[in-house]
Amino acid sequence: MQAMIWEEVKALIDDRVDDGWFSVNRRAFTDQEVFDLEMRHVFEGGWVFLGLESQVPNPHDYLTTTVGRVPVVVMRDGEGNLGAYVNACTHKGALICHKRTGNGRLHVCRYHSWSFDSSGRNVAVKAMKDGAYSDAFKAFDRNLVRLPAFANYRGFLFGSLVETCSIEEHLGEARHMLDLAADQGDEGLELVPGEVIFTYDGNWKLQLENCADAYHFTSAHPSYLQLVERRRRDEKANSVKSVWGENSAWSEMTEGVTGGTYAFDQGHVVNWQIIPLSDTVPLADRAEALAARHGAARRDWMVNMRNVTIFPNMQIAENASSQLRIIRPIAPGKTEMLTFCIAPKGESAEARRMRIRNYEDFFNPTGMATPDDTICYADCQDGHANPSQPWILGYARGMQSVQSGADAFADVLDMTPDRSQPCGSQLCDETLFHSYYRAWLNRIEAGMERSK
Amino acid sequence: MITRAEAEELIARESLSLDRRDWDAWLDLFVEDCSYWMPAWRDEENPTEDPETELSLIWYKGKHNLADRVWRVKSGLSVASVPLMRTSHHVSNLLIEGEDRVAASFAVHVHNAKRRADHVFFGRYEYRLVREGDGLRIAEKKILLMNDYIPAVADFYML
Repeated sequence: MQAMIWEEVKALIDDRVDDGWFSVNRRAFTDQEVFDLEMRHVFEGGWVFLGLESQVPNPHDYLTTTVGRVPVVVMRDGEGNLGAYVNACTHKGALICHKRTGNGRLHVCRYHSWSFDSSGRNVAVKAMKDGAYSDAFKAFDRNLVRLPAFANYRGFLFGSLVETCSIEEHLGEARHMLDLAADQGDEGLELVPGEVIFTYDGNWKLQLENCADAYHFTSAHPSYLQLVERRRRDEKANSVKSVWGENSAWSEMTEGVTGGTYAFDQGHVVNWQIIPLSDTVPLADRAEALAARHGAARRDWMVNMRNVTIFPNMQIAENASSQLRIIRPIAPGKTEMLTFCIAPKGESAEARRMRIRNYEDFFNPTGMATPDDTICYADCQDGHANPSQPWILGYARGMQSVQSGADAFADVLDMTPDRSQPCGSQLCDETLFHSYYRAWLNRIEAGMERSK
Repeated sequence: MITRAEAEELIARESLSLDRRDWDAWLDLFVEDCSYWMPAWRDEENPTEDPETELSLIWYKGKHNLADRVWRVKSGLSVASVPLMRTSHHVSNLLIEGEDRVAASFAVHVHNAKRRADHVFFGRYEYRLVREGDGLRIAEKKILLMNDYIPAVADFYML
């Protein structure tokens, strides 16, 4: 079979917004060849999220992850410097660090005992002297392979398997959304112990879209919303109260601007809703301190619901609680989600308890909302098998009202997105997804160009 | 003191109630202020231990929270619960520990008829049982799920 050429990939995205039209071909969700290109050029061809600095706080700490299909380890050396490396012995490729997080001054390969220190340096080859090695071998770099790009933006760690733009350029104006998360704790963010991993039978881009999709909320989650409403009315001491019970931004009864969307360069997006400060918000007991430190307007933005996607694999959802997600594509129709409760360091025990309880009910695959999303993704994946009318009609809401640049809500943050869409409760913008697919095409084009 | 025969009967009745989708009978087995806890895992080897400061997969105090979960799967409003999975609970190696505690191994076979797929959740149950009215009731149930790599959904009736 002839390998896919750039023109065929490009034709999967029908981007003619000036004519009022944007669509994605279903093949982008189902085709193995497209998936292979995505792995190579989207995930292994530019910045991806690796983890949080707070996961590796001490000298010689490490965390393991994957970048596309490549095992990667982030290590802190004895001097406290962070580095990201391919987690593979340079001898024969065996994994060097074996746990999700751990600590090791020296990593001895379990296969042939080559050893590496926490700065990736090959410090010993077993029986080097007796190995009758050639000068060419001795001159070859045996250190762990360092990722060509690695950056720490306010505790969020990113890496790339190819030389690429600076992290500042990659994050662009979307950095303001990471700032809103990072600024919630005086000492930054941490992960609540307990990581939850699940899979779903659908393409990774279904998760990418769903996070930014206000349109599904009342359709896919009525059981959760009705339960929250029941709990609000019913004052049982051990029922978890949720912001969704206090908030009506999603209700069709609510008038005026209730939230909106921003689309950024490089494929990052946010979908947000106004959430009034109330005692169901975990930040409530520090509301005044946060306002004193960051100003009332930024504090209010911290309280607002924000579903942030940093393309291609990181999402932070802050609504009833706060979740950090890492999206890991497994196959065209299978995706793995690594999820954490993310929280400001130093919040009160009561705030933390409320955050955890809301998290479990809403976000867990054992909870009452996320499974209703992921089963929908599997349904979509089934439907996307249809080639006879290949164009997906889910990129059209808001086409006539989206504006370029900032709106009044972005101005408060001194943030200038590419596009803004202040929304009433029922607009449910879909134009923000366009950014995903433009970035997607850009990475694949650059990658195909690079590998010519 | 509880006897092994009593504990076995209660836990077998719980399995049967779940597999028959007789949710009301299942709820009747719990005391009002029961706790129901499925820890998450901190790392490869250690489950979380403190639900106040660490994440759990499920943590509830009070039977009304379990009743909420039952309401949700019966409501017809949950995408993930229509159609319901078929389940078969298998509980074995039951031992009485101390005055009122019971430990047992479980394997729950789950069949997803819509997607024509099977899955097995397995791990350990730990109960604290109390006498209430005419018989034994569940005061605490802890589910230590060993294979927490979850295929999209794991609801209470599959565990």
